[in-house]
Amino acid sequence: MAVPEQVDTGERRRQMTSVTAIVEAVNLKKTYMLGEVPVEALRGVNLRVDNGDFLAILGPSGSGKSTLLNLIGALDKPTEGKMLIEDIDISTLNDNQLADLRRRIGFVFQFFNLIPRFTARENVELSMTIAGLSRGERRKRAEDVLKTVGLGERMNHRPAELSGGEQQRVAIARALANNPKFLLMDEPTGNIDSKAAGEIIRLIKRLNEEKAVTIIMVTHDQRLAGQSKRVVQMFDGLIVQDVVN
Amino acid sequence: MLSYSFSAIRLRKMRAGLTTLGVVIGIAAIVALLSITQGLQATITRQLQTGFATDTLIVSTRGGFGGAFGQGGANAGNSGFKLLVNDTQIINNIANVETSMAIIQRTCNLTRGEEVYNLTTIVGVDFAQYANIYSSAFVAESGEIPLEPENQTVVVGKFVSDAWKNGTLFCNVGDTVDIIWTNATNLPPQYETHVGQVAAVLKEIGGFGVGGPSDYGVYIPISQAERFFGTDECDTIIVKLANDDKATIDNATQAIRDAFSDQVSVTSATAVLSILSNVFSVIQLFLAGIAAISLLVAGIGIMNIMIVSLMERTREIGILKALGMKSGTVLWVFLSESVIIGLIGAVIGIASGWVLANVVAIVFRGGGGAFTGNQVAATGRMTITPLLTPTVTILALVFGVGVSAVFALYPAWRASRLKPVEALRYE
Repeated sequence: MAVPEQVDTGERRRQMTSVTAIVEAVNLKKTYMLGEVPVEALRGVNLRVDNGDFLAILGPSGSGKSTLLNLIGALDKPTEGKMLIEDIDISTLNDNQLADLRRRIGFVFQFFNLIPRFTARENVELSMTIAGLSRGERRKRAEDVLKTVGLGERMNHRPAELSGGEQQRVAIARALANNPKFLLMDEPTGNIDSKAAGEIIRLIKRLNEEKAVTIIMVTHDQRLAGQSKRVVQMFDGLIVQDVVN
Repeated sequence: MLSYSFSAIRLRKMRAGLTTLGVVIGIAAIVALLSITQGLQATITRQLQTGFATDTLIVSTRGGFGGAFGQGGANAGNSGFKLLVNDTQIINNIANVETSMAIIQRTCNLTRGEEVYNLTTIVGVDFAQYANIYSSAFVAESGEIPLEPENQTVVVGKFVSDAWKNGTLFCNVGDTVDIIWTNATNLPPQYETHVGQVAAVLKEIGGFGVGGPSDYGVYIPISQAERFFGTDECDTIIVKLANDDKATIDNATQAIRDAFSDQVSVTSATAVLSILSNVFSVIQLFLAGIAAISLLVAGIGIMNIMIVSLMERTREIGILKALGMKSGTVLWVFLSESVIIGLIGAVIGIASGWVLANVVAIVFRGGGGAFTGNQVAATGRMTITPLLTPTVTILALVFGVGVSAVFALYPAWRASRLKPVEALRYE
C-alpha cells in the first residue's frame, strides 16, 4: 500500500492564523516495545491546535490516534520530536511537573473511568481535591459544572445508578471542573447508545461554541466528527489529512 | 485525601475487617501478655516487700531457703552442717548487725475440737524480736501479741482464723487449738500434740510470707518449738541490719558466710527482688516475642490485602494519575489506608487485650478458689491484677501502626510507580 503524502498541518495553520497554539506537535515519534518487537506508533506527526479549536481525530485502529492523545494529555513522553503544551516541551518535565500539567487538562474516556464508590458530585470533586481546592470551592464548582452538563438533579447518585450517557456527562463535568486548557476525549460516544450519544454530541458542541472550550477528540463516530470544526485523518502513525469543516 | 482512603476501606468491609482482625489479635496478645506479666510482677514484688524487710538478711543452711535462688552449690544440704538456734550469738557479734533471731518451721495439722484446718506451717519465733523486725506485718488485728508469751500462746495468721474468707472463723482469740505434728524421727512415726491458746489474730498481710509473717502461718514461742519438735536446730536465722545500704548488706553477707565457713547461704530481700525482676524481664521478652510473631503474621496479611487491592485498583490509580495526582500522593493514599487499618486494629487490640488479661486473671482467681472447698490450702494464694502501663499502651499503638505501615510500603511504592498510560489500559 502506498503511504499517503504527509501534510504538515502545524506549518500551514501557523501561516493561516496568528492565534497562540495550545498544543503543538513537532516531528513527534513514539516507539513501543511489544515484547521484543519495536512498534512505531507515531512516525513523525506535526500538529498544531489553537485556542477554541474543535478537533476530531479519525483513523483505523492501530493508526496511532490513542498514542497521540496520550502524548497531548502528558500521560506519556515522546521517543523523539517535541510535544509542546502552551510552548512547554513535556519531555523536559519530571513526573511531578507532568502531574501538575495534567491537572489543567480535562480527560474524558471511552469507559467513563468514574470511581464507582463515589457519587457523581464526589467524582467531580475528586479532580479538584487533587488540584488542592478547598471543600467549599469544590462543592460549589462541582454543582455548577454538573448543572452545565445537565445533571443538576442527579448529583448524589453513584455511577451504577446512572445510565451510560449520564455517566459520560459526569466524566465531562469532572474534566471541566479545573477550568482545563482543553478537553481530551477518547471515543466519548463509543460506549453509549445512539440517543444518548446524540445528547453528548450536542453537549460537546455547546461547550465549544458557548464556553469556548478547546476540544481534541478521537472518534469513530461520523456524526460526531461531522459536528467538529476540523477533522484530522491518521494512518499508520502519520497524519494523512487535515480538513477544516 | 483521608476520606478517599476511608472510602476504599469501607468498600471492602469484609476483607478490611479480617485484616484488621489480624492486627487486633497480635496487639491483643501483646497487651494481654504484657499486662498480665507486669501485674504479676507488681503483685509479687509488693508481696515480697511486705513479707520482707529491706534491711534484713535470711541465713539458712545451703540447699535451704537460699538454694531455691540458685546459691545452693554442689554441697547442698549434704555436708551435715546444722544451723543452731543459738548461732544467733555468733551473728550478733558481726558489724552492722542490730539483732538476729532463729526460726523453726514445721508443717503440722491444726484442729479445734472436731474442726480440722489442714496442713499449715507452724513457726517458732521470738515474739518480741519478730514484732520488732516485721513491725508492719506482725501486728495483731484482734487480741494482743504478748512480748513475753506463755507456753501455750499461739498467734495465728488472718486466714488461719478466717479460714474460708467468708467471716466464718475457724478459730478466734481465746480459742484452744491442737497442733498435731507427725514425728518421723523414729519409726514408726508418732503423732504428737501441742495444745495452744490463740492470743492474737494477725491483720491481713497479703504477702507470701517468705521469711516474714504470713496470713497462713501459726506462730508459737521459739522455746516451745524447740521443746515440741525436740531440736535445737533452726531452719533460718533472720538478721536485722543497721540500715539497708548496699555496702552494709554486702559486707554483712560476706561476714556471716565467713563466720560459718561458707556453709550457709545468706539472702537479702533486695537480692531476691533483683533476681525476680531479672527472671520477669526474661519471661516478658519471651512472651512479647511470641506476640510479635502473631503481629508479623498480621503484617503479612496487610501486605497481602494491599497487593490485591493494588491489582484491583490499578485502573483507578491510572485515573487518579490522569487527573494529576502525584506519585508521592498515591504512595501516601495507599499507606494511609493501611495505617488506618493498623490504627483501628491497635485500638481494638489494646481494649480486647486488656479485657482478655482481666478474664485470665479472674479465671486464675476462680481456679484458686476451686481447691479450697472444706479444706483450706495452707500456702499463700495470689491474685493477679493485670497492669496496663502507658508505656505498653503506646508501644502497642506504635507497633500496630508501624507494622501496617512497613508492610504496606512495598505495595504502596509499586502503586506510586505505575505509569498512567499502562494503568489506564489495565483490565
